[in-house]
Amino acid sequence: MTESKIYFKFDGKKYAGNEGDTIAAALLRNNVRLIGRSFKYHRPRGIYTCGIEEPNALVQIINEHNEPNVRATVKKIYEGMIVKSQNRWPSLKTDLGSINNILSPIFSAGFYYKTFMGPKGFWKNVYEPLIRRTAGLGKPPKEFKSKSIHQHHNVDVIIVGGGLSGLLAARKFAGTNYDVLLVEREDAFGGILKNANKIKSINDQPTDEWLEKTERLIRNSNNIKILKNTLVTTYNFSDHLIALEDKNVGKPQDNEKPELVLHKIRTKHTILANGHIERFITFRNNDLPGVMLAASFEKYLNRYSVVPDESPVIFTNNSSTFSLLKSLTDLGHRPKAYVDIRDQKNIEKETLELLEKFSIPFYPKSEVEGCEGQKEVKKVSIRTKKNKISKIKTSMLCVSGGFNPDIHLFTQSKGLLKWDKDHLTFKPDRIFQKTITLGSVSGNFSYEKLLVEVEKKLSEFEGLNELEVKFELNGSEKFQIKELWETKHEKKSIWSKSFIDLQNDVTTKDLRQAVNEGFNRIEHLKRFTTNSMGTDQGKISSINALGIVSKILKKDISEVGTTTYRPPYSPVNFSAIAGRSTYEFYDPERKTPLHSWHVKQNAVFENVGQWKRPWYFKKSEDETMHQAVQREAEQVRKTAGILDGSTLGKIEIKGKDALTFVNLMYTNSFTKMKPKTGRYALMLGEDGMVKDDGIVCKINDQHFIVTTTTGNAASVLAHMEEYSQTEWPNLNVYMNSITEQFATFNLSGPKSRVIMSRVFNDIDFSNDQFPFMSFNNFKYLDTEIRILRASFTGELGYEIYVPPSHALKLWQRFFISSRDFDLVPYGTETMHLLRAEKGYIIVGQDTDGTVTPLDLNLNWMIGKKKKDFIGKRSLTRTDIVRENRKQLVGLVPVDKTLGIEEGQHVIEHKDLSLPIKDPVDMLGHVTSSYFSPNLNHSVAMALIRGGKRKIGSRLFVSTENLNTIAVEVVEPNFIDPKNERMML
Amino acid sequence: MFTIRCPYCGERDQSEFSNGGEAHVTRPKDPEQISDREWSEYVFIRANPKGIYYERWVHTHGCKKWFNAVRNTSTDEILKVYKIGETPPPLKEFKNTIKTPSGEPDVGSGNFSVKKP
Repeated sequence: MTESKIYFKFDGKKYAGNEGDTIAAALLRNNVRLIGRSFKYHRPRGIYTCGIEEPNALVQIINEHNEPNVRATVKKIYEGMIVKSQNRWPSLKTDLGSINNILSPIFSAGFYYKTFMGPKGFWKNVYEPLIRRTAGLGKPPKEFKSKSIHQHHNVDVIIVGGGLSGLLAARKFAGTNYDVLLVEREDAFGGILKNANKIKSINDQPTDEWLEKTERLIRNSNNIKILKNTLVTTYNFSDHLIALEDKNVGKPQDNEKPELVLHKIRTKHTILANGHIERFITFRNNDLPGVMLAASFEKYLNRYSVVPDESPVIFTNNSSTFSLLKSLTDLGHRPKAYVDIRDQKNIEKETLELLEKFSIPFYPKSEVEGCEGQKEVKKVSIRTKKNKISKIKTSMLCVSGGFNPDIHLFTQSKGLLKWDKDHLTFKPDRIFQKTITLGSVSGNFSYEKLLVEVEKKLSEFEGLNELEVKFELNGSEKFQIKELWETKHEKKSIWSKSFIDLQNDVTTKDLRQAVNEGFNRIEHLKRFTTNSMGTDQGKISSINALGIVSKILKKDISEVGTTTYRPPYSPVNFSAIAGRSTYEFYDPERKTPLHSWHVKQNAVFENVGQWKRPWYFKKSEDETMHQAVQREAEQVRKTAGILDGSTLGKIEIKGKDALTFVNLMYTNSFTKMKPKTGRYALMLGEDGMVKDDGIVCKINDQHFIVTTTTGNAASVLAHMEEYSQTEWPNLNVYMNSITEQFATFNLSGPKSRVIMSRVFNDIDFSNDQFPFMSFNNFKYLDTEIRILRASFTGELGYEIYVPPSHALKLWQRFFISSRDFDLVPYGTETMHLLRAEKGYIIVGQDTDGTVTPLDLNLNWMIGKKKKDFIGKRSLTRTDIVRENRKQLVGLVPVDKTLGIEEGQHVIEHKDLSLPIKDPVDMLGHVTSSYFSPNLNHSVAMALIRGGKRKIGSRLFVSTENLNTIAVEVVEPNFIDPKNERMML
Repeated sequence: MFTIRCPYCGERDQSEFSNGGEAHVTRPKDPEQISDREWSEYVFIRANPKGIYYERWVHTHGCKKWFNAVRNTSTDEILKVYKIGETPPPLKEFKNTIKTPSGEPDVGSGNFSVKKP
């Protein structure tokens, strides 16, 4: 067989691997053992496992936007892949960070919590930069545009795992009426059949043949959809699962196609057949490169045809390692030694026969006490039956500490566990959702019983296929294990450590120390020591930690309990979660019908909700924002300006009871209001706080149009809907958003009447015919427009509502008709400035959900004679009528050259003591502040305690340094207090 | 994430709905006639139990209709949905489902993934 070689780079050096190899398999093929440095102590680390559970072999893929913390044991190689090791400097072999290992006594459990306490300023300048440089795993990825997508499924049954149990289940469902999704995380089905040498044949066929036939059968049935390279990461409430599919396995990234697919699966039944994970045993230096789990070693032999080592030492506490022994000797290799902690009389006959046949040194009732070596295992130290230390030279040690059903998903679904005394592990007990566990995940490690289990657990389904399966096994399937979590240290040195969590560098000593310090609850202990908090979530070690802790606490392990398993099962890329919701697709952009005109006029835009609004217009390239706003604001009060107000929310309210409804929604009274007039209105929450403001226009008692602030358009409509449906369903009223049905122009300034008369020369805009706060509909070309006389600047002003199709032409006509007045287009910033000069509030800027109309001096807007409106009763609550509530006032600096900053505190005293020892009494804060070009000094508004009574007094405003600015407290109305200009 | 059966549209994903808090909190008929305490109980005070709860939901990204639901807040099971104005089902109809299978206490949360002996 000729295999084409695939070349890739690891830390700058070129290596060849076979097609289908993972990075780890390929590196082992090339005899590379040292893969990375550890998280805290920078100890050399190698490949520990052969799959998703890997704690150590994390690498960075340079040519995939620097993707960090990729498991070398999962990621497949492809031609030209560039891989780098992590957390080392300057190189993997000589890493300066490894000095942490010598300093390790100070890095014990709770180190961060205890150490970085002082002196002041050290955290920011010394500790944090230092920790950021030395701790951690990979470097963050470089920016790239995700092309990941989301996909939704609705199925009857999902089968998680395409190993033996999953395939048997799928086989039962093939060709039936059930809609089935079969999910496998590897690129091939088979699981244990491909990984280990436990089953000789199925139905008298080699396992590969049976696999192929079964897969073909499943593939040809049109009711089963297959997802490979797909990992189920999440098992949510109500039968909802999330799975992550990698579309680029063994291929370089394609810039055109999605690299990841996030599957969101809703199902009626979930069959978990996701198998088991081997666990390790803790001994001295159990982290050295060269230590590997036994089943993983066997997986490399069988699945990848890689022999990581021809003569490893095998260390076990259970009968499963027979399979590894057989795989190795079948290939003609001879292990250096076989160390079993069990008594010889408990060890299986077939194991003993193999050991004898190949005369493999055998150590029954013995244990591995530790390993020696600097960058990899050189010697294994064995404590023999007679309590003597015997050292064996070897470069690899295979460990098996037993098996854990992979209960992660089961517990995510809220299933309950129980302790299995025979297998020394937790297994599923009671289900919470419609979950079925099959095979080793259910704690059933027997192939004979598997068939019975499948038949029994799937009996609730109707019309399934009959299974005819007969297994022939290699050796017996009896499983026997002796409890062992940790072996005793023989040697004490700084270098000698027994790790319980390899990825987070947690030692068993840390566990003891944590218990000593009082962290005797497993959830507390986990967080204090960071045990099982790495990206691997302690898959090979968390049960061992429970075992060790239960021994320290002298409790039963089931009393200690497990920590909570939370999704995801394994890290999920942010790009997959984001899917297509990135950049321009993150949130829709809304543009007004005049947007193109604004762009041409060099508008700088501001985001207001989803809307793009002109913030200010740049007249020339070098005009600053301040200059532009001052110019615009001055021009409006001199002649006229025009604002694109199309984003304003507009809601149409109709129905027999529209008047009653509007009276309930707003504070004002609309009963006596004449048709064709508008009114500035306030909307409160039931708590009496200002929720929104706008203009309510009455067409007649059955028909209103109200405006809302741009940002609240949707929530105001929802608020109205809620009350009309739930509180007053008896009212005959309907409402609808018409925000986008009309473009709105706000024309403002002393010349606006002249301009209006020029644009609409058949309409009489005189005070008599068109008084303040009146409106009317007019024919305009082939459509109809509505003109309302209103003002948000304090100047004579008109609002023009025009269908979007006619907006741009009409807008341009305004400029053509007013060349002699230098009509100025202005943006939101100038609008804010102009209204601040008049002391008009902006909901959300001068209010924050704790402000009542009384606090804003808007008592005049409250229809006191109305029996009820939303929030009315709250306005008489004792806390609301309290005198020293924060109230809106105006502020003017005493020194007129000074500017006040928004958000600064208003305080009573000029001097702040240095250093500040006592809390400074804060009266309130500045909500709005602008430099008024029309007054030539700053004007500000502030919410301050007992503000109304403080008018006329002098207070101080803080600044970014310790100086304060003296201010006069005034009524918040700076220009034209008698409102003569807008009545012009 | 769970699904909710909108009484108008049928079963839809939870993300289409918004929760509207406790149901059947009646707005006082004559607010002016009641004390501050009674009024603030209407405005601010809600039961928020762990267990079975009458709730309001609205199909925000759908028909925009409000309706009521009976939900077990500890398991997120929606036990019943009914339209506004319909008589609420008596709570005793739903007994014995207040606790999660882990047997958590009625108040607070905890780690009980292992069955208590």
